[in-house]
Amino acid sequence: MKKIFNPFEDVSKSTRLLLILFWATCLAIFWVASSLGETHLFPTPTQVFTGFKELYQEGLVIHIFSSIWLCVKAIVIAIILSLTFTYLSTVPLINTLAKAISRLRYLPLTGITFYMAILINDARSMQVWVLVVFMSTYLTTSLLSMIDSIPQEEFDHARSLKCNRWEVLWQVVVIGRIDHVIEVIRQNLAIVWMMLVTVESILVAAGGLGFLIKNSDKFMNHGRIIALQIVILVVGLSIDFVLNYLRKSFFRYSKI
Amino acid sequence: MVYTMGNTLLYVEDLSVAYGDKVVIKDINFVEKDVSRKDTTGQVIAVVGRSGRGKSTIFRALTGLVKPTTGKILIADTLSEDENSAKEVEEGDVGFVDQKYTLFRNKTVSEALMFALRNKEITTKEKKEKIEEYLTKWGLLKMKDQYPCELSGGQRQRTAIIEQIFCSGHYMVLDEPFSGLDVGNIEDVKNAFNLISTNHSFNTIIYSTHDIELAVELADSIYVIGYPTIDGNLMSYGTIVKHVDMKERGLAWREFGLSHIEVVKEIKAKMMET
Repeated sequence: MKKIFNPFEDVSKSTRLLLILFWATCLAIFWVASSLGETHLFPTPTQVFTGFKELYQEGLVIHIFSSIWLCVKAIVIAIILSLTFTYLSTVPLINTLAKAISRLRYLPLTGITFYMAILINDARSMQVWVLVVFMSTYLTTSLLSMIDSIPQEEFDHARSLKCNRWEVLWQVVVIGRIDHVIEVIRQNLAIVWMMLVTVESILVAAGGLGFLIKNSDKFMNHGRIIALQIVILVVGLSIDFVLNYLRKSFFRYSKI
Repeated sequence: MVYTMGNTLLYVEDLSVAYGDKVVIKDINFVEKDVSRKDTTGQVIAVVGRSGRGKSTIFRALTGLVKPTTGKILIADTLSEDENSAKEVEEGDVGFVDQKYTLFRNKTVSEALMFALRNKEITTKEKKEKIEEYLTKWGLLKMKDQYPCELSGGQRQRTAIIEQIFCSGHYMVLDEPFSGLDVGNIEDVKNAFNLISTNHSFNTIIYSTHDIELAVELADSIYVIGYPTIDGNLMSYGTIVKHVDMKERGLAWREFGLSHIEVVKEIKAKMMET
C-alpha cells in the first residue's frame, strides 16, 4: 500500500487496475456532485445521455465521419508538404525555408484565415487549407527535430557502404524513419484534432463535430456539449490507438 | 617469425584535420606495407591513445568520411593492373565499423548484407549463396531474419563487419571493437580478425582500443596517439607519438608473453606522458 505513494515504485497489474478504477470512481463522483443543485457546473449524466440520443438521431455518425474525412484530407496534404520540406531540408538551399515554415507556427489563426478567405471561396476547401497551413507548421517542426535526432553514425554507416548523398537521404531518413513519421503524426494528432473542431466551428460549412458543438453552445445545451466532448475525445483516442497499432504491427523494428 | 615486406598498402603523409580553428590532429605520417609470411596473412594495426586525442578523427579521415585539412591518404589501388598504383582514399574504399556497430535499423541481417552487395556484379542467387556462406561461418545463420534491435552487441558487430567486407575493399577500420564486450564476445572479435586477415594478404585491419594488452596481443603494428610536446610545451592536437613495430621486435603473431608485457608498460608510459 505504501508503494503507491512513493516515486518510481513498480506496482502490480492488479494494483494499477485498482488505481484506474479508483480515479474513474472519483471522476464519476465529482461529476454527479457537480451536477447537483440549482447552479450546477456540469449537466447530469442523464442529461448527457439524452444529449447522446438526440445527437445520434440528428446524424452524429455522419458528422463524425465528416470530421474524420476533413482530418484525413488535411493531414494527407499537410504530411506531403511537410515531408517534402523536411526531407529537402537536408539540402542547404531548402534548409532555411524549412526552418522558416517551422517558425510560422507562432502566427495567429485569425490573420491567416482573413487572407485565405480572400483566396478561397468554397468554405469546405477553406477548412481544409486552414488546417493544412497550421498542421504543416507543427508537423514540419516535429519532423525537423526527428532528422536532427538521427545519430551521425547512421549517416556515416550509409556513406561507408558507398551510398551517395541522395541514397543516404533515402536509406537513413526516408525509409529508415517511416515509423518515426507515423509517430510524429500520432503525436501531432491531438493538436490537429483540437484545431479541426475549432476550424469547423468557426467556418460552419458542411457539418462535422465542431459544427455540432457550435450549435449546442448557441442553445446552451450542456448535455449535448458534454456528450460531444466525450465523442470527440473517444474518436481522437481511437485514431491515436489505430496509428500506434499500425506502427507496431508494420514496423517490427520500431522501438520508439 | 620470418616475413617479407611487399607493396605499400597505406600511405599517410602530413595529415591534419581541423574543424574551424580547432586543430584535432596534425602531422600524422605513416606507411604500412603488405606483410607476407608462411601462411597468407593480412595486417593488423592498432591505434591506442587516451580519450580525446583524435583517434576517431584519424579513423574518419582514413575512411574518407572527413576530408583532410592538409596532407593525403593513399591506399593501394587493388583494381588496377599496375602493382604499385595507389589512389586517394574515398568514402566506401575503407570499411568502417563504429563503436556502436551501427546498422540500418529497418533492415534484417540478410537484407542489410544484400544491400551491401548491391553493386557487386554477381547474380542474386550468387549473392544469396555468399550471404548464407558468411552467415554460417560467422555463426549468424539463425539471426538472418532479425532486425538490429533484436541482436546482441556481438551479433550486431559481426553483421557490421560482414557488411563492410562485402562492400569495401581490403581495408577495415574498427573503432573500439572490444569496448563493452564480455569475454566470449572478445573471443568472437579475435576470431573475426583472424577470418578477415587470413582471407587475403592485402586485408588490413586498423582498430582502436583502450585495452593495451589486446593491442599488443593482436596487432603487428601499434601507433600511440597523444599530444606532442614541442619546445617544452604540450600541444593540444593529436599526433603519432610512438610507433611500435611488433614484427621488427619479433613479437608479432606470437603467444602473449613477458616481452609483450614490457611493450604494454612502454606504451602505457608514453600514453601517460602525452
